[in-house]
Amino acid sequence: MTWIPAALLMLFAATVQVTWAPAISVHGAFPNLVLVIVTVITWTRGQRAGLLWACAGGLLLDLAAPGPLGPHALALLVGAYVTGFWVRNVDPSGPAHPVIAAAVSTAIYSAVLVGADDLLNLPVPAPALVLELAVAAAVYNSVLVLPIMLVAQRLRQEAAG
Amino acid sequence: MERRTQARPTGLFLTLCAAMLLLAMVSQQPWASGARSYAKGAFAPFEQAMTAVSDHLGAITAVFGDNAALRADNQRLQAQNADLQRQIAELQAAGQDNLALRQALDFQRGYGHATVAAQVIGRGPDGFSLTVEIDRGTSDGVRPGMVVASGAGLVGRVREASPHAAIVQTLADPQSRVSGYLVKTGLEGTVIGGAANLQMQINPRFGAAPAAGDWVLTSGVGGGYPRGLVIAKVAAVSYHDASTVDHATLTWVNDAATLTVVLVITDFAGT
Repeated sequence: MTWIPAALLMLFAATVQVTWAPAISVHGAFPNLVLVIVTVITWTRGQRAGLLWACAGGLLLDLAAPGPLGPHALALLVGAYVTGFWVRNVDPSGPAHPVIAAAVSTAIYSAVLVGADDLLNLPVPAPALVLELAVAAAVYNSVLVLPIMLVAQRLRQEAAG
Repeated sequence: MERRTQARPTGLFLTLCAAMLLLAMVSQQPWASGARSYAKGAFAPFEQAMTAVSDHLGAITAVFGDNAALRADNQRLQAQNADLQRQIAELQAAGQDNLALRQALDFQRGYGHATVAAQVIGRGPDGFSLTVEIDRGTSDGVRPGMVVASGAGLVGRVREASPHAAIVQTLADPQSRVSGYLVKTGLEGTVIGGAANLQMQINPRFGAAPAAGDWVLTSGVGGGYPRGLVIAKVAAVSYHDASTVDHATLTWVNDAATLTVVLVITDFAGT
């Protein structure tokens, strides 16, 4: 994956996330396409690439969110690091692992995002609400990650062969 | 496996985390708010373009599905319904005012304010802060703190503004608080934001009981919002002997997920 298509993909994902995705919310949670794509990049391209694109995608989300720049990028970085740790220690060919990794990454992302807001003295929602939204988003993202992973692997195979 | 032989990029991770924390702390400072607003404004055109694409796609699919007329009728009826609901609430409130101190009140009622119409071009990136982004900013007279409404009623408040865009904290945001009153009983309280439903803590008064179906309007207490803007309808009321306040679940007159056009009230200086 070269830089320009990846950057365009990340820009597209971030823009879709802040325009279309909220329209398909379930119980207040909606898919985090940037997180899903960062998970896929980490899974297919490695932890280093995942971290760099997590930073870029997170900053794009920060541009659409109220408050300072950085919390979304920080939350995605931690999620990508955990996903990278996962992919290094399991057989990455199994379909269940990326699904679980996306769910875990979403939970960690939510916790870090709320924690960062708290650290920066920004208002944070009640813990029960955070838990509810995080669980719903984790389910949403884990459903999305598999088809996107399959598409990414197919594209990679076509590019290689 | 190539991946397994790579060096663990913990150093890169820690460096990027430190950089993002530093960026967050720096961009939070008041002296950096201008640069932050400009940076956020740079992303607004992409959101605007995506929203336009979405509208075009919606129109195309509606034509192919022969649903365009039905969709337009539905939207028109929904708008009429929202407007009628607002009028009912305002008429009820006006009746109460007549009974009480209407002649003594000397303030400009809601919708007598100067407004700037804005299109919703984006929404918050996660469910934790339910915000919307609009295509009007400081160059259009929009400033942080200004109150935002729709044809149906109160939407929220401008939180940040860049030259050509602004972020509005909606009432669905769990952090939002608005002073409101019940139209029929005059009971006052605090409306608390929530993703699913708004909640209201009502200060009880002897001889008056809140009831489902009553309308909640802004009371103007605290000076944060002008008096008389429709907030919500009471869906249910709960009483607890041990509690000093009554609790009501409200149905907000707006839906943050489907808002498309809002009005920014530019001549009300909330505190």
